[in-house]
Amino acid sequence: MDLIAKYFPNVIVNWQGDYGFVGAIKQTLYMTFFSAIIAGILGLGIGILLLITDKNGLTPHPIIYSVLDKIVNILRSIPFIIMLALLASFTRLIVHTTIGPTAALIPLIASAMPFYARQVQNALVQVDPGVIEAAQSMGESNLSIIFNVYLVEGLPELVRASVMTIISLIGLTAMAGAVGAGGLGSLAVNIGFQRFENDVTIVATIFILILVFLIQFIGDVLVKHLTH
Amino acid sequence: MTIPLVELKNVDVKFKSNHKVIHAIDHVNLTVNRQDIFGIIGYSGAGKSTLVRLINLLQKPDQGEVIVNEQNLLELNSKQLRKSRKKIGMIFQHFNLMNARTIFNNVAFALKGTKLSKEQKKQRVYELLNLVGLSDKAQAYPSQLSGGQKQRVGIARALANKPNLLISDEATSALDPKTTESILNLLKDLNKKLGLTIILITHQMEAIKQICRHVAVMEQGKIIETGSIYQIFTNPRQQLTKDFINTTTHLKESINVILRQEQISYLTQEDLTQEEKMFHLFYFGETTDLPLISTLYQKFEVSANILYGNIEMLQGKPIGNLIVILSGKPNMLEQALSFLKEAQVKVEEIDLNLIGGK
Ligand SMILES: Nc1ncnc2c1ncn2[C@@H]1O[C@H](COP(=O)(O)OP(=O)(O)OP(=O)(O)O)[C@@H](O)[C@H]1O
Ligand SMILES: [Mg+2]
Repeated sequence: MDLIAKYFPNVIVNWQGDYGFVGAIKQTLYMTFFSAIIAGILGLGIGILLLITDKNGLTPHPIIYSVLDKIVNILRSIPFIIMLALLASFTRLIVHTTIGPTAALIPLIASAMPFYARQVQNALVQVDPGVIEAAQSMGESNLSIIFNVYLVEGLPELVRASVMTIISLIGLTAMAGAVGAGGLGSLAVNIGFQRFENDVTIVATIFILILVFLIQFIGDVLVKHLTH
Repeated sequence: MTIPLVELKNVDVKFKSNHKVIHAIDHVNLTVNRQDIFGIIGYSGAGKSTLVRLINLLQKPDQGEVIVNEQNLLELNSKQLRKSRKKIGMIFQHFNLMNARTIFNNVAFALKGTKLSKEQKKQRVYELLNLVGLSDKAQAYPSQLSGGQKQRVGIARALANKPNLLISDEATSALDPKTTESILNLLKDLNKKLGLTIILITHQMEAIKQICRHVAVMEQGKIIETGSIYQIFTNPRQQLTKDFINTTTHLKESINVILRQEQISYLTQEDLTQEEKMFHLFYFGETTDLPLISTLYQKFEVSANILYGNIEMLQGKPIGNLIVILSGKPNMLEQALSFLKEAQVKVEEIDLNLIGGK
């Protein structure tokens, strides 16, 4: 404890409270968790639509495909920091504020969703087309093929894609923190960087790394378990 | 006449890919009778897969009719079509099993839509796995099986809904010869035991010879020749058919091997005397029972020096190939040849100048 007090004095000072480490970790987890869930559901849906409307998909549909494809591409090319500014008024309309973790969810979702949609598409397109053909020859419906073949056979790849998306989301929450969303990013920038309390920045970084490694580890275990 | 199980009437398929049109199926008619084993042979790209994918409408024809089990499949809505597909089993070159599921669940997957209870499904899966000799592998995953075992699972899965038609698209092409033979024997068994009609696509004439009763030869989207296996082997008309047959009788190789033998390799056409000629005799069916060679000598004083001989069974009937040097007086030789022709032996003179390394 003394050692910590000696080398990380400001960490101890900034430990408790809404703007301290405990609060920041909670906020980071909150932002990551809810944006991952919502962007995950939406991205999965769009990814599956891209997959099946593609020209070699289950129900090719050039118009739907090219519209979705363009939306995803455009959203993906907007840098997150600009997305924050761009969506400010929309965010205010929905959550009545533009600061705080809940307000940050909107741009986080808007950024992670197209990223994840593309990841889902790329993960599921790797499912052996022969297996899809076999399921069709067995008289399976398209809906059954999506849920019982694509999502089951493609699960390991899907988990990999999800891990990647969640990790990049943690990065985005840190960036959002810099502009008032709270969380570890905000701690590192507002206290560590602006008040020259480097120990705060270092410890905030360590927490973020721990979070990233933990998610990577869980993902790897899951993938290993799911791959036969 | 019974009603055929499969009838493709004037079906046509064109693929359009970047400004190029591939005429994959060119106005094809095909009839497969119930309980037949029907082979379709052709080189890669001939359109075999596209043709059989028409049978369960995995591929829709641009033109023509597809009638299976007395149903015009093109008139069905998607739900009815899915129901009919359950009565058409299909197995594939690369097995196409689901890697995330156990063998048991791969087979059970095919029973998903049925009204069977969980217990009945389990019973049916084990029944099927027994049928293909794999009940001890129920809890394994596909990655733990050999190719031959995977194909057996594929067969079990394809038979789950008691289809009366099984389509095999190059199902043995990824397997070694011994495994191929065991899979083909299994198919033959199923044909006998269950009355299952089988359509077997392959580029190996050996497989056709082993189990098929009828065969169609495909080239560039067309069926260029079709008939009973016996007709095709004894009386092939198209060059491609002859080439495929040659791959299994190894006749060309045999002739070359013979010609390279020391005693013979010095021979040229000029070395054969006026009274000697080399022939390829090809005979089938009842002819094989006649004592041809001894008759030649007794009747015509023509003696035969047999250089190569081979007899094979095809659907229970023998087919023989002989390469002989016949020697005798020219007019007797003449008579001997017409005697052979009368006895339904096909006779072809082999001109030593025209073959092999001379
Ligand atoms: N979906 C498709 N789109 C475009 N062209 C296709 C498609 N499927 C098949 N073809 C073309 O149609 C022709 C016939 O293909 P098919 O797969 O039926 O041949 P095959 O006889 O089964 O060959 P193989 O022995 O290699 O399996 C080929 O020229 C192939 O390139
Ligand atoms: Mg093919």
